[in-house]
This record gives sequence, structure tokens and C-alpha cells, in this order.
Amino acid sequence: MTTRFPIPARWLCAALLTTIPMAAQPGKPPDLSGLWDGARPTGDLARALPAGQKIPFTPYGLEKYKNVDLATNPNGQCLPPGPSRSITGPSPFQIVQNKDTVAFLFENHFDYRIIYIDGQHPADINDYPAFMGHSIGKWEGDTLVVDTVSINDRTWLDSNGLQHSDKLHLTERFRPTGPDTIHYAVTFDDPVFFTKPWTFDLDLKRQKKGDRIMEYVCEENEKDFKTLKPTTRKVEVQ
Amino acid sequence: MRTTIVALLAGFALGAALPVFAHHSFSAEYDQNQPITLKGTVTKLEWMNPHVYNYIDVKDQKGNVKSWAIEAGAPNGLYRAGWRKDSLKVGDVVTVEGYRAKDSGDHVNGRSVTLADGRRVFAGAADDGGPNSQYR
Repeated sequence: MTTRFPIPARWLCAALLTTIPMAAQPGKPPDLSGLWDGARPTGDLARALPAGQKIPFTPYGLEKYKNVDLATNPNGQCLPPGPSRSITGPSPFQIVQNKDTVAFLFENHFDYRIIYIDGQHPADINDYPAFMGHSIGKWEGDTLVVDTVSINDRTWLDSNGLQHSDKLHLTERFRPTGPDTIHYAVTFDDPVFFTKPWTFDLDLKRQKKGDRIMEYVCEENEKDFKTLKPTTRKVEVQ
Repeated sequence: MRTTIVALLAGFALGAALPVFAHHSFSAEYDQNQPITLKGTVTKLEWMNPHVYNYIDVKDQKGNVKSWAIEAGAPNGLYRAGWRKDSLKVGDVVTVEGYRAKDSGDHVNGRSVTLADGRRVFAGAADDGGPNSQYR
């Protein structure tokens, strides 16, 4: 039986899309509004890293990575992908921005993130882990810096079984590099899985005019759940 | 071993590699060592998430007809690649190259589809780790 999740992103989308995008003004943060997607495939972060760069696994993290059961991909269970995988995964997302919040409306799993600008994490946030975590942000010049904690450890960081612990702390940077490009850098800090924080870079491209967020309701016609088989990784790992 | 079965089948068309989010890992459901080619006639189409499904009737050499379910990518990625709900129609004859499910049932992951006019296209999800996947 599949798990059912409410889909409040629809309400959020309707509410936030009615706000007026911020115009670019001196001293004001840039307007990131629009429909975006990664510029290259990143389903396997280990392979998408620059040549020679490796994920700094702890012995525990490497063991988990080597022995992951690929049938447990949370997406296969129609669960939310997690905060960074929603951005690095190959589905577009809409950024909706106002003074106090920046919202990411993802086509993938029809889910969303809200970044609370100059906000704070609730004191008890780690007692209530969420698939998308809890995110606060600030503007450093033209760069949006996002801090995310309390991420449910059932999510993966890519489509290839890169797991993490509940100690994962994300720092993401969104820096416009042109009218239609944003440089995205996500730093994974998880002392259980990684010996040191490491960063993955991805250029985001504005999607062509006329494209749109399309519906993705995972459970609409899900047939795979019953036929997935326990599957260990067969390729050599690092 | 490559199996060829002739008869009725369902398929897909258009586009190159698709920016499709994989619902699941290819290897967790399908067997890369069981490639299969099916030729048959489309009997039913399901343009729904998380995967488009086409059903084809395939006739073997003894004349027995078997229905196969052909899994494709998500409809959103297929749409962006140029497919539409009516790109395939019930009654179309197509050839599908794909991989059988690990349970050896009637479930196939279609990696390419050839239409009657000869166009051969990619059909599987782009980041599922399967053959022709974008991250392999």
C-alpha cells in the first residue's frame, strides 16, 4: 500500500503566484522568480562531480553507500525527494519570491520548499524532522544563502542511493550569473556520513517561455511498488 | 539472450533523451540481462503519472496472444520531448526494445520504440540508472 501525502503546494502556488515579482533595483536583492531547472544530468552525484573529486565518505557512510538497496529509493515509494535532490533532480521548479519568503514549487512530486528570509529555526525543530527540512535564508549581496536543518533521513541526496543521517545540514547558495542563469552550490555537512563538508555545484537554467509546472501526482497510476526487488549496487564504488 | 516476439503491441515516439525524473531505480525492477524486442499492436494507453503505460498484444510463433505492459517515462517529460496523448493510438503497430521485469512477468521497461514509419526513439526514464540513462 502506498503512503498518501496531502499536496498543499497547489494552494501555495495559487497564493504566491499572485504576488508581484520584485523589480531589480540598486541595493535590493535580485529577483530569482521564474521557472528553472538544472543544466545537466545529476542523477548520480558521485559521477557528476568534477574529475578527481570524490565524496568524502566516513567508513560508515561508504559502507551504507556500497550496500544500499536501490529498491528503497524513496521516490519509488512516492515520498518527497528532499530539499537538494528536488533541485538537482531533472524536473523544473518555479521560484516565487517576496520580501519575507522565497518559495520553491517543484514539479517533482508536486512538493514545495519555503525559505524564510532572515528567519530562525524553531528551537525544537530537530524533534520534528521533515522530508524537506526547515529552511531559513539571507541575502549576501546578490546571493541567496539558505540554511536547512531537520531533514528526514529517509530522503536520498541523489537517484543513486546516496543517503544521509538526521545530522545533515545543508547550506545552499543561489547566485544569479545572468538573466537566465543561476549558479547553485549546495554544501552537505553530515559528520555521520562524510568526513568533512563537501559541495556540489550546478548551473540552473531558466526554462523556455511557455513552459510551466505540470502536475505530478505520483500515486495516480503507481504500478512499480509491488514489483521492486531488493537490489544491491553492482558497480564499483570509489 | 534477446527474445523476439511478434504480434500486437504499444509504443511511444519523438524526442531525444528526456529530462524525466525517475520514479524508481531501473535495476530495482528490471533486468538488464533480459533484453526483449516486442512487435505488436497497441490495445490501451495510460497517460498518467508516475509513468506512461502502453499495453500491446503480441502474438508468438504458435499464434498465442499475450498482453504486455510497457513502462515509459513520466508524461511531463514525454510532453516536453514532443509526445502527446494521441501520439500513439489504439491499433497502432509498433516495435519496442526494452528489458523485462525481474519477476519475468508481462512487464517491460521500454527504452526505445519504433513506429511504423521507422522512427526509433528513447522512451525510458532519463535518470533511472538503466541503459541509455543520462547519468550512466
